[in-house]
Amino acid sequence: MSTPAPAAAIRATGLTKSFRLPDGASVTAVDAVDLTVAPGEIVAFLGPNGAGKTTTVDMLLGLTSPSAGTVEVYGEAPGRAVAAGRVSAVMQTGGLLPDFTVLETVQAIAVLHGRRDRVTEVVERAGLGPIARRRVQACSGGEQQRLKFALALVPDPDLIVLDEPTTGMDVGSRQAFWETMRADASSGRTIVFATHYLAEADEFAARTVLMKGGRIVADGPTADVRAAFGGRTVSFRPPAAVVHRDGVDPAWLARVEQALAPLGVTDVELSSASLEAAFLALTSPDAGPGTGISTDDLAGASR
Amino acid sequence: MSTTLQTPAALVGYAALDLRRQVRDRVQMFFVVALPAFMYVVFGLGSDDPVGSGNVAMYVMISMASYGAVTATTGVAGSAAVERTTGWGRQLALTPLRPLSFIALKTGLAMAVAAVPVALIYAIGAATSASGTTSDWLLSGVIVWAGSALFAVYGLAVCLAFRSDNSVGIASGLIVIMAFLGNVFTPMSGLILDIGRFTPLYGYAALARYPLTEGWTPVDTHDPLWLPVANVLAWTVIFAGVALWGLRRGQERV
Repeated sequence: MSTPAPAAAIRATGLTKSFRLPDGASVTAVDAVDLTVAPGEIVAFLGPNGAGKTTTVDMLLGLTSPSAGTVEVYGEAPGRAVAAGRVSAVMQTGGLLPDFTVLETVQAIAVLHGRRDRVTEVVERAGLGPIARRRVQACSGGEQQRLKFALALVPDPDLIVLDEPTTGMDVGSRQAFWETMRADASSGRTIVFATHYLAEADEFAARTVLMKGGRIVADGPTADVRAAFGGRTVSFRPPAAVVHRDGVDPAWLARVEQALAPLGVTDVELSSASLEAAFLALTSPDAGPGTGISTDDLAGASR
Repeated sequence: MSTTLQTPAALVGYAALDLRRQVRDRVQMFFVVALPAFMYVVFGLGSDDPVGSGNVAMYVMISMASYGAVTATTGVAGSAAVERTTGWGRQLALTPLRPLSFIALKTGLAMAVAAVPVALIYAIGAATSASGTTSDWLLSGVIVWAGSALFAVYGLAVCLAFRSDNSVGIASGLIVIMAFLGNVFTPMSGLILDIGRFTPLYGYAALARYPLTEGWTPVDTHDPLWLPVANVLAWTVIFAGVALWGLRRGQERV
């Protein structure tokens, strides 16, 4: 990575994109968005389908030109920053050639960037070593997604934009993927990602930008966005003695409710840890058959 | 790293990888190399009856080489259009590769692949019984190879117009029909020949055989030189027009 520039990683002002539909009507996909991302930030882009996330990403990458407003990446036009290898992306709509092998695909993109030297490192970082000689058409969706990630790492960009990066990955690869991204972030890479898995944003992004109908409806530290709009949840872990295979001891729960009632607490709810935690506990290589779930994992924090 | 110039080394490196991928495609290589070579062997080998300044074997050799070359350029250019309009184009858009370089790269690639059947079938012809004057060999070879560029434009036009995964197949399939109509596979006569004169492969193949036949067809009719030339020019304009229309249509949709 080159030395951090004084310019913002992303600076968008009044960014707008309208499309004309075949019947002549026009739709505004992105509506006067102002956004500044400092170098080294990790920002999650959330929002329902059609909120304008992908269109915004396309404009950040210079793939679509704005109808109004401006966007700069490290002080340059997006197209220039992309050509210079300062920005790259895992795109939802990006595609691969089915009859290249995994390794050839990486080589092809690397040679265009003039970065043949990065091939080995990038293949290793994305965990593609074991399938390097495989044709792309024989790869699973998750493997193809990892390949796209490898391609995004080729130019060693200062800013990496990830549009639904973990689509098709199983839970294990998803965690490994975010592990890699976390290491990258700590070395100073700016990361902007859009995702449907809200938990990913929660865990990984220090800042969350919520989009709806082409506009930014919330922008701030992830914890604040969650607190301001999502309410608060208090969670605690019951003592191991009252947790059994079929759940938490109801008698003990009744006592908890009794104890909390004087404090004005109502609606005490019991939730097990996420299914994701259970899946990992059961499928991780060191999980023994039948006894894979430790009570601690299942009774863990509720959210 | 603020300035980026597309180095020739990058283009050549990418082209080499792409060429390897294309040549590995067995179905494509069957139609580009094996089928025309086989047809030369079946129809041309040992046919020593005189045609113009050479023999029938030479005539069949030129025809089959042009079929192979045209199938090659159609396939490479057509799949380039499909790549461009599907996700890989977006992947390439995130590299320093500019669209004009992409076109230059794919043109070079199409011509390189087209050279394979021409070289191979001419080699088989030379090793067996095809005969003609030295200028017949050289001129026809150059026309077959260079003229196949017209069908790169054709492949582009069809694939930009249809924009589906199987548009390359459509384009290559139509080539077979046009090869029959264009007097490439078997000698046509009568009404079919009259119609065939207006089809895209007729002018190109007739031009490639002109050094040998000086315009005489196997059924003893004669085409003046301007006829195949006019055919090639007209189809160049038509294909280029359709390709441009398809390109513009694609941009509007973005």
